[in-house]
Amino acid sequence: MNFPNELLYNKEHLWVKKEGNTALVGITDYAQDQLGEIIYVDLPEVGEEFAKGEQFSVVESAKVSSDLMMPFSGTVLEINEKLDDEPQYINESPYEAWIAKFKINDEKELEDMISAEEYEASLD
Amino acid sequence: MKVVVIGAGPGGYEAAIKAAKLGAQVSVVEKDTVGGTCLNRGCIPTKALLASSEVLKLAKEGKKFGVDISGEVEANFTNIIERKNKIVSQLVKGIEFLFNKNKIKLFKGAGKLLDANRVEVVKEDGSKDILEADRIILATGSVPICPPMFNYDGKRVITSDEVLNLKEPPKSIIIVGGGVIGCEIGQFLSRLGTAVTIVEMMPHILPNEDEDVAKQLVRQFKKDKIKVITGKGITSVKVEGNKVTAGIDEQSIEAEMMMVSIGRKPFTDGLGLENAGIELDKRGRIPVNDKLETCIKGIYAIGDLIDTPFLAHVASKEGITAAENAMGADKQMKYHAVPRCVYTEPEIAAVGMTETEAKKANMSYKIGTFDFRPLGKAQAAGKIQGFVKVIADENDRLIGASIAGPNATDLLAELTLAVHLGISAKQVGNVIHPHPTLSEAIMEALHDVHGESVHKV
Repeated sequence: MNFPNELLYNKEHLWVKKEGNTALVGITDYAQDQLGEIIYVDLPEVGEEFAKGEQFSVVESAKVSSDLMMPFSGTVLEINEKLDDEPQYINESPYEAWIAKFKINDEKELEDMISAEEYEASLD
Repeated sequence: MKVVVIGAGPGGYEAAIKAAKLGAQVSVVEKDTVGGTCLNRGCIPTKALLASSEVLKLAKEGKKFGVDISGEVEANFTNIIERKNKIVSQLVKGIEFLFNKNKIKLFKGAGKLLDANRVEVVKEDGSKDILEADRIILATGSVPICPPMFNYDGKRVITSDEVLNLKEPPKSIIIVGGGVIGCEIGQFLSRLGTAVTIVEMMPHILPNEDEDVAKQLVRQFKKDKIKVITGKGITSVKVEGNKVTAGIDEQSIEAEMMMVSIGRKPFTDGLGLENAGIELDKRGRIPVNDKLETCIKGIYAIGDLIDTPFLAHVASKEGITAAENAMGADKQMKYHAVPRCVYTEPEIAAVGMTETEAKKANMSYKIGTFDFRPLGKAQAAGKIQGFVKVIADENDRLIGASIAGPNATDLLAELTLAVHLGISAKQVGNVIHPHPTLSEAIMEALHDVHGESVHKV
């Protein structure tokens, strides 16, 4: 299983790729593996605002429907529309298949995210 | 005993048959076709249309089930409407047959009270009949609400009455009101290729239903590419040529048509209530007591005319109750277990209280839920979306349930019975449920009330 070093993670199995005051958010390799074949991603809408901990998306597989909660507070700048037609893209390349791009409200909120190493260790 | 029933919808026709079975000499006055809104312009025709769109969807998804369909799969709108009309007319004949069997006389025309014991029938050709009555049951139903600001013209701006008889599906439609009618019609048209926008003033579509349940439908609508705007009302409507423009705050949206489905109101025009001494309440409904009798002895009112849920099955039960009381019984209606059904995909069905209502009433309650997804039957049938949610009070008595998912409207029966009888989550959960069926989700949700679901993760 692959956990790129340049990304931030949390224990809810999300990854965050920070670029200035924006960030891409997706689910980890471990998460996609646990979910199995993903059949639907409920994408948020551009312009929607979310508080930290608020649900921003749902990822459905044949096995389970999983709510995704915001790792920080922010506003949706872009959504990955490719996932509308090809949700299984998340299974194929979880770190290319970002779900949404957010404007980060407060960068401090990312401080409790963990490194690839810590995340991987938390999985055992 | 002479009983006259005005209106032959699901309330009136059942009242008539019940009264006849109890020995009355019954006349029914109906200005249109028997069956009322339900059969002619509501429940049944929409279900027929939705069945066609479901077949279309299944055919397109054949590959998922290992079935290759070659050639074009497309909807033939004319034939879809024709099939619907055929089903309706067969069922209309069925009611007429029941009338004959029960020696009920059907008078075609508009009924009007002359006084508390006489009903005038004005036929289409203008001629009149006068019927003498010992008891009268008013059952004239309701009509769609369509305030003047919507510029209703029956062509560009329509109601559910017209949408069922379109010649072809519009390229685009704005549906005002995300209640049952708006959601069902919206999904039907969307499946036939119409670009659908639903505008609902309340915070979520199906505003009276559980929010989690409504969310399941919103998710499906997203997949269907149906646009849903909530928490906003239409502020202006402009009809120009073949275009309707609707203002929503500062925004405006355009479509080929608009359907207004914001509710229905009792239909009492020309009923002559004043001649009998019956007054309407502020919202245009006929006040009745718990035996469904109006302020005038011997005159009953049922269904969409009174302040109870506007549902065909409520009207039917009220019709039967009114008929029994008209024939000397002392029966009261109970409304704690009224089932509510929405025939979208996923289907939505609920009975009794929602969680929101229980919360508002400050009740202590327990919730049990279970998803359809892990069930063998759901996986095999390829219908995995949705869940069952049951609500029990502090004594474990079932007070409500909501289902979103495959066959929800049929699955609800068991929970309706439970809420009706006021039995406990434990009692119903202990019933052996067949495997593999979707009803296992109900059993698991009932066990989940006590944290005892075997299959819940």
